[in-house]
Amino acid sequence: MGAAVDHVTPMGMSGGSAEGNDKSEGQRFSCKSKLTALVVDNGGVCRAIQTALLRSYGVETEAVETGEAAVELIASGATFSLIIIEMLLSFMNGPETAKQIRAMGAQSKILGITAFFDERDQQEFLAAGADNFIEKPLSPEIVIPIINELDN
Amino acid sequence: MDRNHLKRQVDFMKRSFLDQGYLDEQFIQLEELQDDDNPNFVEEIVTLFFNDSARLLQNIEQALVSGPIDFAKLDNYMHQFKGSSSSIGAKRVKDECTRFKEYCTAGNAEGCFRTFVQVKQEHATLRTKLETYFQLARQAGPPGTSRGQVR
Repeated sequence: MGAAVDHVTPMGMSGGSAEGNDKSEGQRFSCKSKLTALVVDNGGVCRAIQTALLRSYGVETEAVETGEAAVELIASGATFSLIIIEMLLSFMNGPETAKQIRAMGAQSKILGITAFFDERDQQEFLAAGADNFIEKPLSPEIVIPIINELDN
Repeated sequence: MDRNHLKRQVDFMKRSFLDQGYLDEQFIQLEELQDDDNPNFVEEIVTLFFNDSARLLQNIEQALVSGPIDFAKLDNYMHQFKGSSSSIGAKRVKDECTRFKEYCTAGNAEGCFRTFVQVKQEHATLRTKLETYFQLARQAGPPGTSRGQVR
């Protein structure tokens, strides 16, 4: 089978990590500034995983089940560096949620996310004000560049 | 039993799951999230997944057998099911979901029925494999002792 499996198997692992830009052996990438995120997903598993991933990079993360809850949170004054919104939510869908969030003047980076990538969904989400649209799972490859962008 | 031997067995089992396509890299990413603050994160997430997904599968089954098929509803259930499956790295399950979705989109009831049998099968197989895996992992002792993670 070859080399022993090492639990620290970061993707694209390179030598040192000057700015913590990549995950080198034994050290996890961490955001430089105080970043906050909101996960909007009606699935408990996805909420838990996305939240854990973001938190592991030092991003203060909250999660809600519905678009309505997200809108309410932001209407009450909460601000987030990053908002990740699932396409198909239980009531108001992802794009509608993004639209309402943008209408309130939120400057957050909005990432639309979905189980099955669909071009029409992508168009809808981007037109609603999302910055990006990806298929699950949320991975370090997606998150780390976003965090770097937000940090600078 | 020798702890190191058990750890090697755990690693070997995981490696074989990856090689045979039951799991993909996403599962490894979940393990990376385990640490002293969250020592059982993966098992907890996987347990949550199997509880949630059992319910979703029941809903899909109901939707398939009761009266004229509501393909939009099926699509919705499968969307959530695929989303969580892919998020825990359940590769074979995820692939069957994709097949199901194609039949669903085409309004092909028979195709949905057939593929759903596969979905349930892969789901059940993975459940058994991971139950064994976590049992062994618990015996082998706390994970992360070989990670040398520095915070």
